[in-house]
Amino acid sequence: MLLSALVFLPLVYAVIIGVLPKTSWIRPTALGLSLLHFVLGLAIFLDFEKGVAALQLVEQRQWLPQFGISYFLGIDGISLWLVILTLAITPLVILGSWTSIENKLKTFHVSIFALLTTMLGSFLAMDAILFYIFFEASLIPMYFMIGIWGGSRRIYATVKFFIYTMVGSLLMLAAIIVLMLMTKAQLGGQMSASLLDFYQLQIGFVAGEFFTTQTLLMFAFALAFAIKVPMFPFHTWLPDAHVEAPTPGSVILAAIMLKMGSYGFMRMAFPLFPDAVEYWAWLFVFASALGIVYGALVAMVQPDMKKLVAYSSVSHMGYVMLGLFAFNIFGMTGGLYQMLNHGISTGALFLLVGMIYERTHSRQIADYGGLAQAAPWFSIVFLIVTMSSIAVPLTNGFVGEFLILLGAFGASKVYGVIAVTGVVLGAAYMLWMVKRVFFGPLSPMLSKYKPEQLDMNLRERVLMAPLVILIFWMGILPNHFLDWSKESIEHLVNNRYGYELSIHEKDGHNGR
Amino acid sequence: MDVNFGLFDLWVVSPLIALFLFSILPLTIKVLSQNKEGNPFIPMTIGVLGVVVAAALMGTFRDLGGAVAFQQSLVFDSISSQVGFLVLAVTAVALIFSRENLATKTGQFSEFVFLLLNAAIGMLVVIWSNDLIIAFIGIEMMSLCLYVLIALSREERLSKESAFKYFVLSSFASAIMLYGFAFIYGSVGSTYLNEISTLGASLMGTSYIFLLGVVLSIVGLAFKVALVPFHAWAADVYQGSPTPLTAFMATGVKAVSFVLFARVLMSEVLVAPSAEVLVNALQWLAVMTMMVGNIAAIGQSDFKRMLAYSSVAHSGYVMMGVIAAGLVGGAGAGAGLSAVVFYLVAYSVMTLGAFGMISLLEKREDSQVYIEDLKGLGQRNPWMALFIAVFMLALAGIPPTLGFFGKFYVFMAAIEQQLYWLVFWGLLSSAIGLYYYLRPIVLMYMAEDVRGIDVVGSRHLTSFAVAMTALIVLFAGLLL
Repeated sequence: MLLSALVFLPLVYAVIIGVLPKTSWIRPTALGLSLLHFVLGLAIFLDFEKGVAALQLVEQRQWLPQFGISYFLGIDGISLWLVILTLAITPLVILGSWTSIENKLKTFHVSIFALLTTMLGSFLAMDAILFYIFFEASLIPMYFMIGIWGGSRRIYATVKFFIYTMVGSLLMLAAIIVLMLMTKAQLGGQMSASLLDFYQLQIGFVAGEFFTTQTLLMFAFALAFAIKVPMFPFHTWLPDAHVEAPTPGSVILAAIMLKMGSYGFMRMAFPLFPDAVEYWAWLFVFASALGIVYGALVAMVQPDMKKLVAYSSVSHMGYVMLGLFAFNIFGMTGGLYQMLNHGISTGALFLLVGMIYERTHSRQIADYGGLAQAAPWFSIVFLIVTMSSIAVPLTNGFVGEFLILLGAFGASKVYGVIAVTGVVLGAAYMLWMVKRVFFGPLSPMLSKYKPEQLDMNLRERVLMAPLVILIFWMGILPNHFLDWSKESIEHLVNNRYGYELSIHEKDGHNGR
Repeated sequence: MDVNFGLFDLWVVSPLIALFLFSILPLTIKVLSQNKEGNPFIPMTIGVLGVVVAAALMGTFRDLGGAVAFQQSLVFDSISSQVGFLVLAVTAVALIFSRENLATKTGQFSEFVFLLLNAAIGMLVVIWSNDLIIAFIGIEMMSLCLYVLIALSREERLSKESAFKYFVLSSFASAIMLYGFAFIYGSVGSTYLNEISTLGASLMGTSYIFLLGVVLSIVGLAFKVALVPFHAWAADVYQGSPTPLTAFMATGVKAVSFVLFARVLMSEVLVAPSAEVLVNALQWLAVMTMMVGNIAAIGQSDFKRMLAYSSVAHSGYVMMGVIAAGLVGGAGAGAGLSAVVFYLVAYSVMTLGAFGMISLLEKREDSQVYIEDLKGLGQRNPWMALFIAVFMLALAGIPPTLGFFGKFYVFMAAIEQQLYWLVFWGLLSSAIGLYYYLRPIVLMYMAEDVRGIDVVGSRHLTSFAVAMTALIVLFAGLLL
């Protein structure tokens, strides 16, 4: 019941928010409920067993039996931390929007909770159709969030975001249907949409030919996920969406929604189509490498801080994909870890840019300078997050990038060299931005404000504290986190061919 | 020909008899009260009551498993009752909309109810028919009622033009269809669909007369369901007709015509090896319909016209299902058709809701609702805006709405028949469709300038009906 509660309670919260009589109650109630939900989510750790690769806390019920579609939730080491990340980011986002979102508060918080349901549903669903429904439905609240509270070009950005991501996943729907019909033919006449059944399919593959079943299906899935990640050259919706979205929207988009793409690769594309993925890996690696370098170079020349962070996302997600496509234990672990890191550091960067924008109404790097003198708290936190983003040792970013580099060199020297170039470029654009914004003489725009106006207030310090703690915790003691995922990742890496996922039965207590 | 029929025959047509009796009741009341039209609420209630009684009677024979009545002229299988219920539901909702719409709330509302219920009778006859002649009679009965209904509108200009256009073009199409029926009869020697079905497969490869008959029938039916290139009437007629009737035509009439379409093809005709050309042609019809409908809808500024093109596009999706079902052939076709029936129901619910919303937004009998007018509706009337958003997302086929499940089942049926290119085009056109379905939502919630129209007050029944359809659209897909 825990997973169902996690997925669907946010809808109840949304209703509660909807019926609140006073506007002033909305923010505290939403924050309280989201914190409560986070605590509830921590209950996963009570039941979750380390050292088990199988699916845990499973809930399975028939839903549309004539098509073999079931209501099927489960969690394993791959989805565990993404779920926790989602639960953790939401209260922070609500706290972060405390003053920046002023109109239509009810709609805003209802959207956040609707997003929470759909995002958790995407990470927990183990039925392809259920997954698809959550995956697509998550677009709707985000569409509203960008479109209602976004910047001046919000409508262009939100429509582009919606259509781009929707188009990508339409082909995936067709591919899911093909797989469902295959289960009917191969697995005893009963159609099924369960991923566990999909894993058992034998899908025909011919190397060197594009029009073979497995290759086509793989690309149908990969297109949906590559757009979501986004991988170069499907990234063009991302800078628009990020820049126009309100801060909370950018944070959720960067920290969680992009992960739905990379998670999709790990959960579906890799184990379902091992031959095709292996054969076409060069293409994805090439795209990832281009994304890393291109994202970094474009970020370097951005005059707008938020745009810079948005392009850095393209670069960082390129890393994640490079790690995953190394197909070894280091790369895969690093990729998963970097997903979490990116969620924390980029989420934090968007929050920070949002904070300063709220005060000065400018995101132009050229308007800034000498902010370190005026806003010490803000500067310290920003520097810490920057360090995480450029992977300085002792921060979480280092662990992730190091593992990815290990993985990349293990797979091929060329991959490794490309990845290292990215590290250098990443440090370059972030540090250059930090230099221009925080150091040097105080800029004319900033000198109009008193220092106490510019620096973080208590709420913002409270908001950033957990992120800063996580940056160091994950950087110094990565095993606290990786231990929970190790088994699942090893299982995936070692058994990509003939991947199977079983349901973990806990001492006589049947999960079904 | 001796006319003899038993109790069974009377039983299965009892819904039609009930509908007819209830349809003359308002007229009788009107005649008895010196030809004075009372409160339109009374005829509406009688009409809805008639529909409920007919539904109850129909409920007594939900699944007769393909039994035939009146010497094989009528057939009762699962589609007969499923679409039958859909027709009755659409009729009831159209009655409710009409009671509160300014263009249809005329001094002749009793006549209006009479005509609408008789159109419903015609529609039931069409979906039950196992005989080309009976089907034709049903179609004509339905169409004749509609011509008059549209012309009855209080709005002077567009509705008259629309009624006339519909009359001329629809008669033309009927004539072509009848011509096709004649050729089919000439080559098969029977008008019974089940006999045509069994003999059709062999005739397909040998008899050009038969092929010509099938093609002409398809052309006529393609006109009725507005498949491109036979769709040109749809936008004008849908726009010009009073909104409740547009809703009725876009849902009920279309569903009924598709059932007949499916029944004509639902034979061994498409399975025959020599039918490949025909299958290809039908696929191209579907592809063109989806693409042209969706692309033309993008350019529309009138909300009703946009929905009219969207309804053309949806015909293409249904057609995809019909082809897939036709390719199953023979006994399996019934199961293949369930995707089509589901899509028709889903599409009807969303379209009824969307047109109901337009009906609520119309201030005068001749006022047009432009998409731009929706600006800021999200603030002025959050509930109504929410309903419009739900209907738009559903028409676009976004989960978890009913529209998604409709598309899902149709795509599933098509992929099962390996119509991959057709599915590809369907997916592509859905993507195009997203653009214009999102526009009302953008304007309602995200536009800067918030002047525009609002819902005209005190149309409680319509609002209630729309709210119900919105609920169904949101949750029915998940619960079915």
